[in-house]
Amino acid sequence: MNCEQYQELISAFLDNDLDESAFINVQSHLAVCAHCAKMCEDCAMILDLCSEDLLQDSLPPNSKALWCRINNIIENQVKAELAQPETAPNKTKQGWLSQVWNNSWRFSLSQVLTSILGIALISSLLTIIGFKNYSASADNVAVNASSSVFEKVLSKIGIAETTQEKRERYIKQQQATIDYWKKRVEVRRANWDNHLRDAFDRNLNEINQVVVEYDKILQENPQDEISNDMLDSAMTEKVELLREFSEL
Amino acid sequence: MNLKLKVLFNFFADKKTTILLLSVVFFFVSAAPPDVFAQKKFSRSYPASKNVSLKLTNRSGTVTVEGWERDEVRISASMEAPAANMTPQNLSGTIYINLVKDNQGRKEVGYVNFRINVPYNSSVNIETMMGNLNVSNVRGALVRAHITSEGDITLTNISAGAVSAENVIGDIFFDGDIQSDGTYRFTSTRGSINIRIPFGSSFRLVATAPSTRRISLGPFSNQGLNFGDGRRVFGKVGGGSATLTVTNQRGSISFISR
Repeated sequence: MNCEQYQELISAFLDNDLDESAFINVQSHLAVCAHCAKMCEDCAMILDLCSEDLLQDSLPPNSKALWCRINNIIENQVKAELAQPETAPNKTKQGWLSQVWNNSWRFSLSQVLTSILGIALISSLLTIIGFKNYSASADNVAVNASSSVFEKVLSKIGIAETTQEKRERYIKQQQATIDYWKKRVEVRRANWDNHLRDAFDRNLNEINQVVVEYDKILQENPQDEISNDMLDSAMTEKVELLREFSEL
Repeated sequence: MNLKLKVLFNFFADKKTTILLLSVVFFFVSAAPPDVFAQKKFSRSYPASKNVSLKLTNRSGTVTVEGWERDEVRISASMEAPAANMTPQNLSGTIYINLVKDNQGRKEVGYVNFRINVPYNSSVNIETMMGNLNVSNVRGALVRAHITSEGDITLTNISAGAVSAENVIGDIFFDGDIQSDGTYRFTSTRGSINIRIPFGSSFRLVATAPSTRRISLGPFSNQGLNFGDGRRVFGKVGGGSATLTVTNQRGSISFISR
């Protein structure tokens, strides 16, 4: 038998699975062949290690030590709870909202008084603004009808456009429209006969008188609802007159 | 004989200035084109459903629209020289006549006086640049009479859900029913507005005559309306389901019981 054949039998030799003659035969070869003997040693070491791991895994945990550790943990927790003040247990029972309340909403007397004064001041200001707007709107229902209370408050503060500013803007727009149609009429006017020209001038003059009349009233009393309405109406009529005559 | 000729000669010698003038006038009259003094006529009829619409825009002249029981629209117009161009159109139940468009850019256009008959239930929408507008015996959905400048508006025996009359200088007269949920608007700058409606009418009123403060409510004066400072009267008459808005910038407003 050569070394290769002996090496194949090493495993069975270590496990003691060989018959007596084969066992003696391998044993005598290992005694003379250093290479195969070394290999046999290595295999034996591997087998030893494996048998050690298996032994460790199969060992039950140290139950005594484990229970000891658990007891220690529980005892520590109980001791810590007993050491805390009486309010502390409530903290754990109450929700986060009440925790925030307890922590953040504790005011001093001066803070409370300042808050009350602040609320009173803001509500009085709002009431004054409300009253002013109400009394103004009693005379000027139509003009203010479109603006909400919120808009009024904003305009009082200066964030939004006031009713007066809105009106001025509207009048400017109307005036621009009138100027445009006036130019158109000037171009077309040369084609009109005298009769048409006279009628146009007469009617435009009538409307202009109305505009001047209400403009004057509104300079004295800008909040006069009826005069505002009449001025709007007259300006619309003027635009209509100019537009329709410019089509001739 | 000689004496007679002499008398005749003397007569003509005395009247020669008159004769000369008459001759000149005769010459110009005969030389002038025939359409200067002629009045052109226009007449056309359109078969129509009972609730046809009429949309007429005139330049100048009087327009008279009258309801009748026939299912046709008859348009008659007399056109003064220089005669206006006119091309009425009947488009899907609405008859359109627009003399402003048809004569745009023309230097001179003579008056056109319309007389139009429509079925009772027609909607009438008439406009003119100047001249009078008359509508009578119409019971359609809409009656609108708009004068851009001057002229009177007379609406008689009207029963429509929406009525509008507007002019700058001129009177407005309305004689008709106020339908529940209807809208009635009368606007003038200078003139008088007279409204004749049944005593039992029910409407929401806003009547404004700021310059004259002459608002006479007649039979409706005891309806608890708000007079304010006299420039505007507003409030509810009866149930107040219809809306009646009357504005006269520099004239009066009067209500009369029908």
